Amino acid sequence: MNNLLTLPVMIPLGFSLLALLWPRRASSIGILGLLATLLASAWLAWRVAGSGPMLLALGGWEPGLGIALHADALSSTLLLMSSVVALAAGTYSTGYFRERSDRARFWPLWLLLMTALHALFLSGDLFNLYVTLELIGLSAVALAALGGKRKAVEAALRYLILGLLGSLLFLAGVALIYAGYGTLDLMQLRNMLAPEPVAWIALTLMISGLLLKSALFPLHFWLPPAHANAPAPVSAVLSALVVKAALYLLLRFWLDIFDDVVTTFAAWLLGSLGAMAVLWGSWKALRAVRLKLLAAYSTVAQLGYLFLFFPLLAALPVGAARDTALGALILMALTHGFAKSALFLATGVIQQKAGHDRIEELGGAARALPVTVFTLALAGVALIGLPPSGTFQAKWQLFSAAIATGQWLWIPVIATGSLLAAAYVFRILGYAFASAEGVKYRIADGREELPALILAILATVLLGFGSIWVWEFVTPGALAVGEVP
Amino acid sequence: MEITLWHLLDSLLAILLLGLAWSALSGTDLKRGVVLFMAFGLLLSLIWARLRAPDLALAEAAIGAGLSGALLLLALRDREKSENKAGQPMSLLRLATVLLMLLLAASFALAYVTAVTSNTGGRLAGLAFGNLEQSGVSNPVTAVLLNFRAYDTLLELAVLLAATLGILALGSERRPFRRPGVLLGALVTWISPLLVIVAGYLLWTGAHAPGGAFQAGALLAAAIVMLRLGGMTSEQLPHQLLQGWLLAGGIAAFMLAGYLATFHDLAFLQYPAGWAGLLILLIESAAMLSIALSLGLAYLGGSPSGWDERSSRGKRS
Amino acid sequence: MMLTQLIFGIAGGLLFAMGLRSALIRESLLARILAVNVSGAGIFLAFVAIAYRGLEETPDPVPHALVLTGIVVAVSATALALALRRRLEEADDE
Repeated sequence: MNNLLTLPVMIPLGFSLLALLWPRRASSIGILGLLATLLASAWLAWRVAGSGPMLLALGGWEPGLGIALHADALSSTLLLMSSVVALAAGTYSTGYFRERSDRARFWPLWLLLMTALHALFLSGDLFNLYVTLELIGLSAVALAALGGKRKAVEAALRYLILGLLGSLLFLAGVALIYAGYGTLDLMQLRNMLAPEPVAWIALTLMISGLLLKSALFPLHFWLPPAHANAPAPVSAVLSALVVKAALYLLLRFWLDIFDDVVTTFAAWLLGSLGAMAVLWGSWKALRAVRLKLLAAYSTVAQLGYLFLFFPLLAALPVGAARDTALGALILMALTHGFAKSALFLATGVIQQKAGHDRIEELGGAARALPVTVFTLALAGVALIGLPPSGTFQAKWQLFSAAIATGQWLWIPVIATGSLLAAAYVFRILGYAFASAEGVKYRIADGREELPALILAILATVLLGFGSIWVWEFVTPGALAVGEVP
Repeated sequence: MEITLWHLLDSLLAILLLGLAWSALSGTDLKRGVVLFMAFGLLLSLIWARLRAPDLALAEAAIGAGLSGALLLLALRDREKSENKAGQPMSLLRLATVLLMLLLAASFALAYVTAVTSNTGGRLAGLAFGNLEQSGVSNPVTAVLLNFRAYDTLLELAVLLAATLGILALGSERRPFRRPGVLLGALVTWISPLLVIVAGYLLWTGAHAPGGAFQAGALLAAAIVMLRLGGMTSEQLPHQLLQGWLLAGGIAAFMLAGYLATFHDLAFLQYPAGWAGLLILLIESAAMLSIALSLGLAYLGGSPSGWDERSSRGKRS
Repeated sequence: MMLTQLIFGIAGGLLFAMGLRSALIRESLLARILAVNVSGAGIFLAFVAIAYRGLEETPDPVPHALVLTGIVVAVSATALALALRRRLEEADDE
């Protein structure tokens, strides 16, 4: 039986309950839980790599009546990334939260968030997706507001309201789909959906909700304050994982379930909004006063790149070129996930040691916190898209696809975005290497600096040199969830 | 299609509902808005009854109107800076949003009408009723919630837990109410035990009649609200560790039952033959307690003052 | 029967849109929370209207279960939002 599919969801859930019941041991329970989850995700990914997509009909009920879980290359890859980032950020958290009461509050919610993300990646049912979206939203908001600082609570509340509206838009679409097609099962729907008004309107509603949750320009305005004011490990996961979850759903719907329903016009619309996100986000990042705010705006920009793929994928005929482009999209999403979380964790270290994260006052950081500044540099390489990072390869593919399809429009956007990214990264490094005395030398814990470093290495080096694995693993089986033992 | 009295009633209900919603949302007096919202909830409960959804009618009255209303009424005491703004003048922007709203409603209506007229089948009802016998219960809604789509319910309990944990982390409880007067005291003394009994009844009867864990849990939470209004302080709540167990119990019960199945070489949450009814009852009992405590703590407004974590957040970090 | 579905389905759509608009327009947090609840109720109404099969046949139980889940999710979100709002007030007073 494929009950393995339940583990990445149930393990963090179980450990969340344990952390609730034994708050004294919350950190240890949390780390143990994240390790176990990582093992389960890795096992699942290994199985999928070996024998193809997996399906589990929960309760043994036939699809439609019951809820199905499924895993293919795309979802298991994201699952793996999510487990790694969560473990890294979680390790960092053991040093970040000093008070026992803070830890006791943090860990159950953190593990619930992981449960929610993994449940979303593995879900095969439309209404179940809504429930996972809500669980993600509520746990993310609760985590973002931890610490009770005014700015954090304010941003979290706005995030909550907008998140709820996004979920409701999604749910409205679900209601229409159920009305028109009589089922909520994704695999059944894939065969039943046709280009007709019900499907168009339902898809528009659901996509709108997901766009709000993935912070595509102009629906991005809630993101910078929320990510910038949350505790560092929470920001890492918000930027790296939570927005990716909505993006994953968008991809799943666009390229897989609703692929008969989508129109080229809509693809162009998304691409245009993505272009604006790249330019706007990069510009605001350059102008940011605080590191965390820079990182948050950088997320807005990087997500914009991902949306540039949509019109390209629409224009490429089914075949090798399209598969390569799809692989590039996934590679870019993965690299951003690791790089951005590394950036936020490194920023967290600086903020704790220096007491602030103002960029212009970072002088002396290179001497005081060499490992962390190195991490910043590595993450920066991945964000700009310099070789050998995964982003470099992905942007290269973006260029090629744009040229191949004649969509020249995107090329200056990508170039400008990358230049602006280079500008803001070098600005940080410039101040960090200056000899002014903004950051005094403080002893930093290994567990504070290492997780970020590891993540950055993953983004820049591993995904860069190992990107061929990603392409081989992900692309052919990425969206094939049909036939299964 | 003939127009019967029922359709007249339906139109009336719908118009009334829309009217209540509009006045609840558009007034500047928030207290009035909250009260109208509670009336909206009660009318909605009536509509659920009209549409032959008695489980929903119970839940809406208890949770949607009742508990939400109680929470909102409490929240009225928290003053907000921008709250007492007078109504803004009608501007072009506001008119534009009205048009957008109508556009949204029209698109939804169009899709809905198309869908419902072209697909007149039973949708998933056939499958649900066909498998009802094997589900272990005879109330079809309970069968869907606790068996066919049990995974959804499991995650939903997680949602409730996440919200509760968030509320507990944000600060300590509100100040308790002072000792009640004679009438309120008598009311509380009479109603609270009644609520507990009816909750137990609803839990039991949910297997074959409208009712179930959620409605029962809501009634228990209502009992907590009543007791609170009667002056209960958090020292009188169960011990903190026990509260933790209660909060976790519903999810834990689900997980245990779910993995119990896997030992019999079945799928997760596939209750072994003959065990379904009992397992569902056990899960529902645990879930009822979790729901009750979650909603009760939400009414308290934060972590009870007895808890050993630093609960007074008077100092900001 | 079908007319009933249309009446309540369209009413649901109107509620959904009305709530959405209010949530975006209003400045008061409490009003926004009310608006989100009303919007959700609109979708629930649409679901239950879809499930309705007339006075003779028992309704489709699946949407009822979905709406029940939705009601609990809504109250959870409301409770969290109100707690955040209260925290915001306390933070202001300090």
